[in-house]
Amino acid sequence: MVIEQYTITTPRYNFPQTSMDTTLPQRFLELSIHSLRQVRNQSFQLNQQPIQQDGQYDNCPMTLQLNRRPLLLVPKSKETLIAAVDTSTIKIGETGTGIIIAVRGANVWKQNHTYRYTRLGPFIFHITEDNKKEVYKSLERSYFNTQYESNHQNAPNLLQMPTRLASLLERWLQAMIAKTATNGLLLFDGSLMSGTADSPVQRMREILTTARRHNNMTFAFSKATSLRSNGYLITDLLPDGDPPYLLETTGLRFKPPFVLLGDVYVARLNKANLSFRLDIDREIPAENRLEAVERLIGNDVFQSYPETLRLSHILCTFTANEVLAIQHFITREHGIRIVNRPDMHRLLFGSFGKGEGYA
Amino acid sequence: MKLYKKEGNILQVLSFPNENAEKGDYLLIEDADAGRSLIAQIIDVQFAAVPGVLEELLRTLPDGGEPIHGEDIDPLEIAPHITYIQDASLLICKIRATLENDSLSPSSSWLPSRSQSTIRKLSIPMLMKLAKVDGKLPIMVGGTKDNSLLTIDASAIDGTLNIITGKKGCGKSHLSKLLMVSLVGYKATVIVFDLNGEYSSLGMTSDGKRNMYYDKIHTLIPSQNFKVALNQLHLNVVMGILIHALHLPGTSAREFRRLWKQLKDSGKLSLTTLGEAIRNLNCNQHVKDALASRFHSLINTGFFTDSAAEALILEECFITAKDQGGAIIVNLKNTSNIDRQIVVEYVLGKLVDSLQNWKLKAAFLFAEEAHLYLRETYWDDIVTRMRHFGIFTTFITNQPDTIRDGIYRQADNIFLFNFTNEHDLEVVSRAARVDAETVKAIARDLPPHHCLTLGRVVHDFPMVTRVRTLDLKTMGETRLFFGDSD
Repeated sequence: MVIEQYTITTPRYNFPQTSMDTTLPQRFLELSIHSLRQVRNQSFQLNQQPIQQDGQYDNCPMTLQLNRRPLLLVPKSKETLIAAVDTSTIKIGETGTGIIIAVRGANVWKQNHTYRYTRLGPFIFHITEDNKKEVYKSLERSYFNTQYESNHQNAPNLLQMPTRLASLLERWLQAMIAKTATNGLLLFDGSLMSGTADSPVQRMREILTTARRHNNMTFAFSKATSLRSNGYLITDLLPDGDPPYLLETTGLRFKPPFVLLGDVYVARLNKANLSFRLDIDREIPAENRLEAVERLIGNDVFQSYPETLRLSHILCTFTANEVLAIQHFITREHGIRIVNRPDMHRLLFGSFGKGEGYA
Repeated sequence: MKLYKKEGNILQVLSFPNENAEKGDYLLIEDADAGRSLIAQIIDVQFAAVPGVLEELLRTLPDGGEPIHGEDIDPLEIAPHITYIQDASLLICKIRATLENDSLSPSSSWLPSRSQSTIRKLSIPMLMKLAKVDGKLPIMVGGTKDNSLLTIDASAIDGTLNIITGKKGCGKSHLSKLLMVSLVGYKATVIVFDLNGEYSSLGMTSDGKRNMYYDKIHTLIPSQNFKVALNQLHLNVVMGILIHALHLPGTSAREFRRLWKQLKDSGKLSLTTLGEAIRNLNCNQHVKDALASRFHSLINTGFFTDSAAEALILEECFITAKDQGGAIIVNLKNTSNIDRQIVVEYVLGKLVDSLQNWKLKAAFLFAEEAHLYLRETYWDDIVTRMRHFGIFTTFITNQPDTIRDGIYRQADNIFLFNFTNEHDLEVVSRAARVDAETVKAIARDLPPHHCLTLGRVVHDFPMVTRVRTLDLKTMGETRLFFGDSD
């Protein structure tokens, strides 16, 4: 009941609004069903290998400098809308012609001391060498009705498709909260790096511009970073002094096509000895940034990390139980038989064969 | 359903929510290639250890507080599948028999194929047909969960020792009455020690009309319509009463025996002459006092009389019950503890006499809360000596630990109602025809009026039954202060 009252008194942010542009989920659904129909009555092999994530822009520029003088923060409990986005993907199994994957996204927002969420999916796709381009392009076209050049014109590798589709859903969710939230803090998972296949510069710019137009400030939190200063990971170079604080970085430049749309900080938000890379939208005036982080700490940080972002991650992650349920769904609803092909690593190397994902 | 594991005679079967398997149900695990099937009974239902369930539950309570609220947009409708997997259950089953070529054997030594076996529920009628639980003298106990009837054969109670037990108010006496009237219906002789006076009206329907048992129910109320003249008594019965019920010491007992014989031989045995003989006895004062006090105890019961007209000849009641079938209800409701023991000693003594002399062929004895009136030595008598005379006892109790271990070990049939107390279940599980796991797992969850039947009557296939109602004036209900005033 209390939650209902809060919702009624704050109509400005009611994500997702009824007028929300549902083009992408609708397209996700259509393509999902269409791709599964193609594989009907076939057999499939359960997943044996983990998805490999590529770290294409992990090359650390040598110019990065970390200012170890902390910018001290004072938590401010002034009521602030905080919204976070995360997506997740998992490979369910392999068919004779491709892979079956599932994608899901979650938005979590905190308003009037109450957390709420919207979870989209899971969407299940059968991706083959034949349809991967069509699926991806079709979904991308549904997004702003535009296809951006990203200097990655080559069709994605089949194994990269799960991450690509998840990123597509993530950008769409980010665009949605940028559009629907007002006067809030928007939290993204990862960084504000653009120019990759998943994050075309123009698309990311539009998301950030839209957010600013609605008086929102966009932050991106990285749980793990490869950025180094003088050879050390920036998140390891913590000065003495009581948190919360930020450490500024300077001199971070990437070669084209990569464009960093934020300024990078190291954030230690409470006494727990955990620090994160924090990207803050570069267009936000410097004087507003610290105050925004203080509001974030005062409203949403309980375990050294923003709770909304943590919840987004928890809610979209696939559990083993859900994977079983998805297998059950595709078996029951689409007549796809599960076959148990022997794992060659296990077969050849016994208990020493741990799969291709292990060296 | 899928076969998951077998350990000893325990099977673990994976079951999904739509398969509706419950405790007490029977499963048939058919291995077509082996040409054999296992019959197993579900004794426990647990959640299957589905990976990821803990994470699933934890994320609904993200900070250990109230559940986070939100909306799930699930266009492919995966959620029902998640629930389906999450609610999968693991059925812990006890193997009861192997079915091969339509015949049953108690073996569980073979292993059915895990991947090829088919598992389905076995209906109670089918199980009863396979186990050949039928007969010419059917007693309908009640309905099973699958709406079939559990019918046992009266001959499976013949010559057996039975126990009806369960906690207070769950329907033990009701089942005992059902068995009793069914036996009477087959012209059996039944003797009931009725502690609460609830069997007296079994000759009436619930609305007070006479029923088919009306002429077969003979209620004896000690000191009212059930009195005994001393000259009807055998010395050994009297000695039994004096020694076991009134605890007369050995020396005094010898003196009493001498007095009794003297009076009997002179043909002057009566309460008056016996009292006078004790008063005039010239012997040790302690012996005299002991005899005098026991004599007054006998007089005070009101159970003994010198009037031939008042005296009841119990043998005649037995013979009436023998010819037409009938129940002799010994109503012990308003009888004191000592008087109860005296009456029971007398009835059992007479019963053994009648059986020894072949005046009776056999009799079924129903004893409610027998520890309140049955002397220690009778317990062993009942399970050993008396059954050879033809006394087949059914004990009814809500305190299972009052029945001696020896009785449980030799019990042929157990009708078990709900028990929640671990100690009570432990006691019952000592019965030889029962496995402790079944008793503990099933009896704990039995609803009121549901009974787990174990033993010979069900050919060792434990079955859960809702005991059928009887159109009898049962009078066994607890009187309530706050009950319905209507």
